[in-house]
Amino acid sequence: MKLDRRDFLAGTAAMTLSAAGTAPAFAQDKVVKIGMPMDFTRVYTFVTAEYAQGHRDYLTLINDSGGAGGYKILADITDHGNDIPRAIEAYERMKREGAVLIDPLSTPVARALVPRALEDKINMVTTLSGRSDAADGEVFPYVMPLSPNYWTQAGILIDYFRQVDKDLKGKKIVLVHIDTPFGKEPIPIYQALSEKLGYSFQTFPYAPPGNDQAAIWPQVRRAQPDWVIFWGAGVGQTTALSEAVRNGLKMDRISSSVWLSESDMEVVGKDACKGVIKFEAAAGGRDPKVIQAIVKDVIGKGKGAGPEAKVGTSYYNIGVMMAAIVAEGVRKAAEKAPNGPVTGPWLNAGIQSIENFTADGMLPGITVTAKDHQGGGRGRVARWDGAKFVPQTDWFAANQDLVWAEIKKYSEEFKKTGK
Amino acid sequence: MDLWLIGELALTGALVGLMYALVALGIVLVYKTSGVANFAQGAIAMTGGYATWAFATLLGAPLFLAIPLALATMFAVGFLIERAVLRHMVGQPVIMIIMVTFGMEIFLRGVMPGLFGVSVKRLDLGIPQAPLFVGEMLINRAYLIGGLASAALIVAAIVLFNSRAGIVMRAVSDDQGASWSVGIRVERAIAIAWGLSAGSATAAGILWGATQGVDWSLSLLLMKALAIAILGGLDSIPGVLLAGLIVGVCESLATGIVDPLVGGGTRDIVASLIILMTLLVRPYGLFGREQIERV
Amino acid sequence: MLYRRAGIRHTSYRHERMLWPLPFDRTLVGVIAAFLLAAPFLIDRLYLVAYLLPWLIWSAAALGLNLLMGGAGQIHLGYGAVMAIGAYTSVHLVRAGVPFELAMLAGGLASAVIGMIFGVAALRVKTLYLAMSTLAMQYIVDFVIAHVPAISGGTQATIQVPPVRFLGLRIEGDIATYYFALAVCAVVMLFMLNVQRTGFGRALAAVREKDYAAEVIGVDTFKFKLLAFWTSSFIGGVVGAVLVVCYLRSVSPDQFHIDLSVQIVAMVIVGGLGSVLGSFFGAALILFAPIVLNNAVAALTSAAGLPLSADLRAHIPLMLYGALIVGFLVLEPLGLAKIYDNIRNYFLVWPFRYARR
Repeated sequence: MKLDRRDFLAGTAAMTLSAAGTAPAFAQDKVVKIGMPMDFTRVYTFVTAEYAQGHRDYLTLINDSGGAGGYKILADITDHGNDIPRAIEAYERMKREGAVLIDPLSTPVARALVPRALEDKINMVTTLSGRSDAADGEVFPYVMPLSPNYWTQAGILIDYFRQVDKDLKGKKIVLVHIDTPFGKEPIPIYQALSEKLGYSFQTFPYAPPGNDQAAIWPQVRRAQPDWVIFWGAGVGQTTALSEAVRNGLKMDRISSSVWLSESDMEVVGKDACKGVIKFEAAAGGRDPKVIQAIVKDVIGKGKGAGPEAKVGTSYYNIGVMMAAIVAEGVRKAAEKAPNGPVTGPWLNAGIQSIENFTADGMLPGITVTAKDHQGGGRGRVARWDGAKFVPQTDWFAANQDLVWAEIKKYSEEFKKTGK
Repeated sequence: MDLWLIGELALTGALVGLMYALVALGIVLVYKTSGVANFAQGAIAMTGGYATWAFATLLGAPLFLAIPLALATMFAVGFLIERAVLRHMVGQPVIMIIMVTFGMEIFLRGVMPGLFGVSVKRLDLGIPQAPLFVGEMLINRAYLIGGLASAALIVAAIVLFNSRAGIVMRAVSDDQGASWSVGIRVERAIAIAWGLSAGSATAAGILWGATQGVDWSLSLLLMKALAIAILGGLDSIPGVLLAGLIVGVCESLATGIVDPLVGGGTRDIVASLIILMTLLVRPYGLFGREQIERV
Repeated sequence: MLYRRAGIRHTSYRHERMLWPLPFDRTLVGVIAAFLLAAPFLIDRLYLVAYLLPWLIWSAAALGLNLLMGGAGQIHLGYGAVMAIGAYTSVHLVRAGVPFELAMLAGGLASAVIGMIFGVAALRVKTLYLAMSTLAMQYIVDFVIAHVPAISGGTQATIQVPPVRFLGLRIEGDIATYYFALAVCAVVMLFMLNVQRTGFGRALAAVREKDYAAEVIGVDTFKFKLLAFWTSSFIGGVVGAVLVVCYLRSVSPDQFHIDLSVQIVAMVIVGGLGSVLGSFFGAALILFAPIVLNNAVAALTSAAGLPLSADLRAHIPLMLYGALIVGFLVLEPLGLAKIYDNIRNYFLVWPFRYARR
């Protein structure tokens, strides 16, 4: 029988299908499995690779020194491409393999998985994204941001402006944001603060993904703002900054959310954007002791999970931060129930008892309680000096009363209509 | 209304529109000769951007060498795509060919970031960032150079189509059977058209990559380019020039004037509305030739 | 040997019009139906929830689009928007207290009306231009949904689907949602299997082949093109409602973007235009290929220990997926249904291959 193209197709299909559904087998006890289906290929490409690298390196560090509280943490990292069916398949598969924590690093996926996570009692970490109202631990017992949400970031930025200018009355603050729910999210906080502090607030939305902001920044320039905040992600950030530079705006009055990294600054031009401010959730660079330990014990021994040049970048450190918080949660859970069966509620109890955790000085003290899943809402502001981000303030929290009012408003609605 | 603002928005919009028109040029070239709507044009622009970055940064070639190298490579890539993929789809219904180009788009979006890494890449053309003021209007140097370069390339395309090689391609687009019968090598003309289309996509990729950095989002240039191609007429190259200006200016003015009224992102809608209006009022575009279906 | 064709004698016209005249076909359909009915008790929960349920829902959507693309020959790149309209309408109505049976139908009706407006473009332009105008409408519907807070649900832009009851049964959990989706898919499939035999289906076929010739012989193309859009959009709206209630359980605008539209068009084309079985095959391939490729690549790289960069490893499934689509379309333009047909034709006369016509 002559082999023709149809046989070839069939053979390829058979080979692919036979390799399907295979999963690495783990046969140890004292192991905590976490699942990390993330978006490597679609929208969150700018952050996922470095985040996953930082996460993996920290877990290697912890596991090599005996694990957290005696438990080794194993992470299953795959790609869901921001596609909900793939994400749900990954979630179900990881659940079947015994994962007690899921980290999707994608807002739409996190939103889609919230009902399932709450029902299956599996912890879901939504780093700096996801549902901002999930900070309310009473309504969302198993959804844990564990990091400052966008409302907190907005509050802290405005407070920093107030610290620099002493009084914001009569000043003009402008928000250039991507025209998606993510970009529109901090607006209520900015508006509430504008009433409280007396500044005038104007928004300039740009169409996603933000690679064409040519018509926005001339308007910003004409508005002659005292402070500019740009709120986007990925290519929206680099374009926004380039446009700001080209329109001759003063760099030290421009600020961003947490999604600004060294690679963005490189694309725009390291010297051109000296002075730009951003929000920082975890200390950057290679100075923190944890990062130095990683460089020595993990990278030095050749066990790094990615290119060495990325160690110490903003998103790498955020990955380390989240891994550290999860590891601390495991340690606390092991303290409470050393032989307790590793389940979602077991880890949940551990994470909710984290107190003033700083990961050797890299983080503001994170305290998670059953009511507050945000971890305290502390962050700081850092400024780009041409080579790296230099922190301008200490770790502080600001305007948390306003933020929690917003959180309660939305979580109440979820409680009424959700399940 | 602030006249200077309107003037500035219109000027910037026109320049940006010209930069989009460069991608549309590729779509029109391909449609003119082979009757295929290439939905992978944005991905090819992205590939061109990555290729230039690879030559310039990874291999360390100076820009005046990297750009021609990238253009030549992408010309070959366009040639190859036509040979390997489109050749087999001759005679199939339009929707199949559209689907094949979608598949190619997905493939290219997987290959490029996979090989070169997902982080945004810097493509430095050496354009100074300092603003240029004419009166109270600020002209963005990057867009100025980008727009002028695009206009030059489109005019070159128009001139090309009046040369001998261009007449060959016009004959092929008119009637493939008749072209064969007078001895024109139709396959070669089509392959060359695909190569030129890939080349213009690369030029667009370079210009856009210089303004926003090279990453997968360059493939999103497709939608605007399609709007321009349809408004100008899918088989008219001068139409691309005029339509580019119109679409760019409309989008810019919409962002400046309508946004504050409506409260957000009307930019994307402008392209879609232009497509709809064109298709309902004058389906073949401003300069397109009406296709008469004969029984 | 397997497909016994001898001895099948029809004794009435009704008998002759059977969908599956060969007993082997009927047994096969029976086995598959029995398996699908018993699936929650036979297979692992993972496969039920993550593979079978989305497959049923997406197949129903592909069937709806197949009516328009394969039956009436119109190109529709905006099916995601149609499903979005159905989903949002039904969720808002359910939250307002309307019983789910009515909300689902209302969602379908809203989609049908708006989908019919999409279809107005079909009266003016054809093929590529029609594709472009439906694409433009997809973006416009996206914009409207995202920018009208009353529809999208405000800044959080995610609306939770409250628990619903259908005919008194609670549609919650794995098993009830699975059976509900199975029921909807079965209804749509039966409709599609029989529509070709009705006057409506034949009129659509005439419009598909050459619409002015159809006009000449008395088929009102205006009416039937709009009706095709109406029916297909109704199915799309109902499937959108089912998708949101059974599978996603929350609705937000970014679930219904252009990606979904292109995905369903790919399912229809790769499966085979106009073929009911093809919609199922196409849905399975397009839905599962990324997942399967992802798992396969992960398993292969960890087994072979290849030092690939994380970026490359994550993008290889995407590359293979794009290559798969291009490969199928280039090698077998008539789709997976034709491949199945070829296999079936081979076995139809096996082992007497010389008898093949």
